[in-house]
Amino acid sequence: MKNNKQLRSWVFNGVLIGICFVVFFPILSTLLLSIKEPEDVRRNPPILLPCDTESRAIDLRHCRFSLDGYSRVLLLRPNPNSFFGQSVTGRLFTQYLPNTLFYATFAALITTLLAGLAAYGLSRFRFQGRRLLLTSLLALSGVPLLTMLLALYQMNVRMRQLIPGYEERLFMVVVYVGFELPFAIWVVKGFFDTIPVELEEAAKIDGASPLSALVRIVAPLAAPGLVSIFLLTYVNVWNEFIANYLLLGRSELRGAMYGIYEYISQSLSAYNALAAACILVILPVIVIFLFTRQAFFRSMLEGAIKG
Amino acid sequence: MDWIRKRLGLSAPGWLPFWVIFPALLVIAAIQLYPTLYTIILSLQQIEPGTGQFVFVGSRNFERLFGSIAFTRSLVHTAIFLLGYVAITLGASFAIALLLRQRLRLTPLYITLIFVPWIISDVVAGAVWRLFVVPDYGLFSPFFANPALFGEPNGISILTSVPPNQLSPRVPLPPAPALLFLIVASTWKILPFTTLLILGALQTVSPEVQESAKIDGASNWQLLLRIILPLIKPMLAVTLFYLLLGGINGVGMVFSLTGGGPGTSTEVISYLLYSIGFSKLDFGLAGALSVFIAVLNFGLIALTLKLSAAYEEQ
Amino acid sequence: MLRYRQVLSMLVLLSLLLMLSACTAPVAPGAPAPSASDTAAPVVTWYYYDQDNTDPEANERVGNFYLAETIPQFNEEFVGQYRWVNVPRDYNLVLDLVAAVQNNGDVPDIMRTGTADLPTFLLNNTVQDITDYVTNAPWYADLDPKAVEACTGPDGKLYCVPVSESPYLVYFWTDLYPEGFPKTTDAFLAKAAELKADENFALTYWGSTAFDGEGAGRYYYQVISSFGGSYDDGQGNMRLNTPENVAAVEFMREIVANGYSPEAAFVGNFEEEASFKDGLAGAFPTGFYIGYQYLNPLKSPTGQEFNTVSAQDMEDAVNTGVMGLAPIFAPEGATPGCHMDVFGFVIPNGAKNVEGAKAYIDWIMQQERAVQWVLRAGGGVPVASSVREDPAFQTDIFKQGAAALEASDCKPWYGSLTRIAEAKKLITETMFNLLKGNPDADIAAALAATEAEYNSNN
Repeated sequence: MKNNKQLRSWVFNGVLIGICFVVFFPILSTLLLSIKEPEDVRRNPPILLPCDTESRAIDLRHCRFSLDGYSRVLLLRPNPNSFFGQSVTGRLFTQYLPNTLFYATFAALITTLLAGLAAYGLSRFRFQGRRLLLTSLLALSGVPLLTMLLALYQMNVRMRQLIPGYEERLFMVVVYVGFELPFAIWVVKGFFDTIPVELEEAAKIDGASPLSALVRIVAPLAAPGLVSIFLLTYVNVWNEFIANYLLLGRSELRGAMYGIYEYISQSLSAYNALAAACILVILPVIVIFLFTRQAFFRSMLEGAIKG
Repeated sequence: MDWIRKRLGLSAPGWLPFWVIFPALLVIAAIQLYPTLYTIILSLQQIEPGTGQFVFVGSRNFERLFGSIAFTRSLVHTAIFLLGYVAITLGASFAIALLLRQRLRLTPLYITLIFVPWIISDVVAGAVWRLFVVPDYGLFSPFFANPALFGEPNGISILTSVPPNQLSPRVPLPPAPALLFLIVASTWKILPFTTLLILGALQTVSPEVQESAKIDGASNWQLLLRIILPLIKPMLAVTLFYLLLGGINGVGMVFSLTGGGPGTSTEVISYLLYSIGFSKLDFGLAGALSVFIAVLNFGLIALTLKLSAAYEEQ
Repeated sequence: MLRYRQVLSMLVLLSLLLMLSACTAPVAPGAPAPSASDTAAPVVTWYYYDQDNTDPEANERVGNFYLAETIPQFNEEFVGQYRWVNVPRDYNLVLDLVAAVQNNGDVPDIMRTGTADLPTFLLNNTVQDITDYVTNAPWYADLDPKAVEACTGPDGKLYCVPVSESPYLVYFWTDLYPEGFPKTTDAFLAKAAELKADENFALTYWGSTAFDGEGAGRYYYQVISSFGGSYDDGQGNMRLNTPENVAAVEFMREIVANGYSPEAAFVGNFEEEASFKDGLAGAFPTGFYIGYQYLNPLKSPTGQEFNTVSAQDMEDAVNTGVMGLAPIFAPEGATPGCHMDVFGFVIPNGAKNVEGAKAYIDWIMQQERAVQWVLRAGGGVPVASSVREDPAFQTDIFKQGAAALEASDCKPWYGSLTRIAEAKKLITETMFNLLKGNPDADIAAALAATEAEYNSNN
C-alpha cells in the first residue's frame, strides 16, 4: 500500500514536471535564442543549443553565447558624461519602457484609489439603484477596449484640438483607468465585504467620520487586497498593446509592447535582438509576479468568483 | 440590510456615498458609455466621397458589412478559433488542475511555474511563437517542413501555407495551419489562468463528499463525472464565458504572430475591425462592425449574469 | 459637513490632476523658442522623421538627421518671418491627417506624402487644390510631366507638389547574374532553372499580404504591367480579368511552383528582403529608393560584405560592380512595366499658414535644397530636370536607376481607382491566394470575383 502511494506520487511529480517543462519551453527557447551568436541565429536547420561541434551534436564545453542581441536592443554608445562612460540609446529603453512605466504606474495608482473609494461606498452604504449599479459594473467589466477604439480615437483628436496644452499621455492613462475600474471595483468591494463593520462602528463611537474610518480602519485592513488590485492593473496596463498603438498618433508616446511590435514589423532578420527585447520587456513583470504571486491569485480568484 | 446602516449611524448617509462613488463613475462614463453611443451614431453614417463630410445613411453600413465576403470569412475564422481554443483550454486546464489537486510537496512551485505565461503580454507571446516557425530558421520549421509528416512536396510552413481548394472564399475550410497554430499559442497563454480557476473550484469540493462516495463504491471515473463535475459546473461556465469573451476580442497575438496572414487566413473578426477602421479608414463600416461585436459581447455577458443569478437562486 | 466633504473630494480630484500634470511636464521636451523669431509665424510640417531622434541606427535615421540639420537653416533664412515647426509622426500619418481635417483638428500647414496616398486624400477632401500656385511657380516648367500627372486629380487639378520620383525596378547580384538581369520572361525562366540547379533562388519579392496589402503596388504590379496588364479600366472601376493579367499570374505561378523564389517571399514583415540581403536570392524587384535606403547591410552570394548599415552599402556594392539595377523582365517585344512612387508635399484643408507653406516649398525647390531633400527626405531621383543634373545624382547607382526608369513604362499602380486602401488589400489577397494558397484555382474566375467585389461598392 505504501509503495503504491509512493509510486503514484512519483508518477504525478513526473507528469507535472513534464507539463512545467512544456509550458516553460517557449520562454526557455527565447532566452537561449537571445544569447545566440548571429551566425547561430540564422542557421538551417536550426538548433536549440548552440553547442555543436564538427564531430558531436552537443558538446557543453563548446557552447557559443554572445550578448549581441542585447547590445542591439540597448545600443550602447560611448558617452563621457555618463557614469559608466556609456549610455543606452536603444529606443526600447529611452522611450518605450519609460512610457510603459508611466502608464502602468499612474493607471494602477488612480485605479486603486478610485476603486477603493467607490468600493467602500458600494460595500458600506445601501441606496436606491445600488444593485443595478453593481450589475452594470459587472457587465461593463466584460466589455473590451476594442469596440471603443474608433470613438476614443476621435475623442482624442477632438480634445487635442479643443484644449491648449493637451497631454495625450494623460488621455491614455484615463482610458486605462476607465477600463480597469469596473473589474477593480468589484474585486475591492469583495475585500471590503469581508472586513467586519464592528471595527468601523467602534471608530464611529470615538467620533470618527465615515471617511476617516475608511482611511484609518478599513484601508489598512484591506491593504493586501488594494495591493493586489494595484499589481493586477499594473500588469494589465504593462501588457496592453492595441489601444496604446492605435490611440496615440506619435510613436514616442507609445509603450514597450509597441516596441516589440515595431521589431516584428520592421525587418526582423535579427531574431536574437527580437528575442532579447522580449526577454527584457517581460522580465520586470515576471519578477513582480514571482515576489507577489499570492496577491495576484487573490484578486484573480476574487474577481472570477464574483463574476 | 438596514441593520448595517443603523449600526454605523448612517441612517442618513448624506452625500458621502455619492462623492466616493462619483469619481469612478465619471471616468467609466467618459471612457465607456460615451464612446458606445458615439460608435452607434458612427455606424449610421458614412463619409461622402469628395467632401469628406459624414452623412446619415441609415442601415447601409450594416448591409454592406453583412454582405461582404471579408465579414463572413472572418466569422468562420473566429468560430474555428473559438472552438479549438475553448475545447483545448478547458480540457487541458481541467486535467492539469486535477493533477495539481494532489497535494504534493512541490505543488506550490508547480503552480507558480505554470502560471508564468499568463503574466506575459499577448504581443510578446505572439512574437515568441512566431520565432518558432519563421521559415528555415525557426526551431519548429524543419518539423513542419517534413514532407513525410505533412504531405505536400515540401511539407508546410506555418507562416505561408494556405490549404488549396478551400470550400469557398466565404467559407474558408479547411482552416490554414496558421489558424491552428494561433489556437495553440493562445491556449498556452491563457491556460494558467483557467487552470487556476478550475483548481480553485476543485478545492471547494469537500473531501467528505468524496470519501462518502468512495465508501458507496463509486469508481474514480464515476466520482469525477457524477460528483465533482456537477459541483464545479458554475465555475466551468464562468471559465467558458471568460474564454469566449477573450477569444472574440483578443487581437494582440494576431498582430504579432501572423498579422492576419498568410493571405487572410487568420483574419479574425477583431483583426477585421482594425483593418477596416484603421487601415481602410472606412469609419462607418468599422462603426457597424464595432456595434456587431459589442452586441455579441453584451449578449454573452447578459447570458452569464442570468446563469449566475439562476445558480444563486438554487 | 456636507460642504466639507464636497470640498475634500474636489481637493482629492484636483491634487490628482496636479500630480499628473506635474509628472508629465518634464517628460515633454521643451520647445526651444529663440527670442528673435517669436514674431515669426510657424510653418507646421508633418514628416515621419523626428529631428530629436539621434539614434544612429533608427529606421528613419537618414530623414531624422536631415531635419535636425535643415530646420535651423530655414529658420535662419526666414528669421522674423517664418519658423519651421516639425511635428514627428509615424507611418499612420495618412489616417491622422484625414482624421485631423475631418475634426477640424490641429492640421499641419504642409505634409510630406507620396502620390499613392492622394486618392485617399481626395476621397476625404483632405488636401487643397494648389493648381494656380504650382503652375505659376518658377520651377514648374522644369518638372517631369509624368510626376505632375501623378499629382493631378481626376478633375484635372493639381493637389500636390512632386519633388522626387522613385521607379520600381530590380536589384540583382552580379555574382549570380554575370550577364546582367534577363530582359525577357523566357530568358529569366531559363536562367532561374540554371540557378535552381546550383541551389540558388532566382529572386525574392513582396508576395505576402502584410501591411494591409502593400504588395499590390510592388512585384505584382511590376509583372502585371510588364505583361501589358493593369488593375483598372480607366473609369474608376477595377478590371482584373483580362488576358494580360491572366498571363502574368500564370507566369508568376510558374516561378512559385518551380521553387525559384524562397518561402520567405510570402512571410511578410520584410522577411523577403532578408534573403536578398544575405545573398541567398539573386534578385529583388522593389522601389529604387527602397533598395537605396533600406537594403543594408549586404552580403553577396560569394560572401563579400558591405557593413556600414547605411545607404553607403548599396552605393559601394553598385560601385564595385557586385550589385546591378535593371528594369524588370517583360515578354518578348514588350516594354517593362513599373509603378512609380512620386514624393512631394500636400497642403491640407484647414492649414493655418498657407503662405508660409508655399514659401517653404519654394525654398525646398532651390537647387541645393532640392538635392538634399531628394537624397535624404524624399527618396529616388529629382523630378526637376535641372536638379537631376547635379553631381550628387551622377553616381553609378543613380545612373543605372535612371537607365532603368528610361527603359520602363512607369504608371501609378492604382490608375483610376479611388478607394486605394480597399483596392490594394483585395488585389494582394487575390494574388497571394492564386500563387500560394490555391495554385490550381481558375485564374480568370478569381480575378473576376475580386473586381466584382470592389465594383459593387462603387
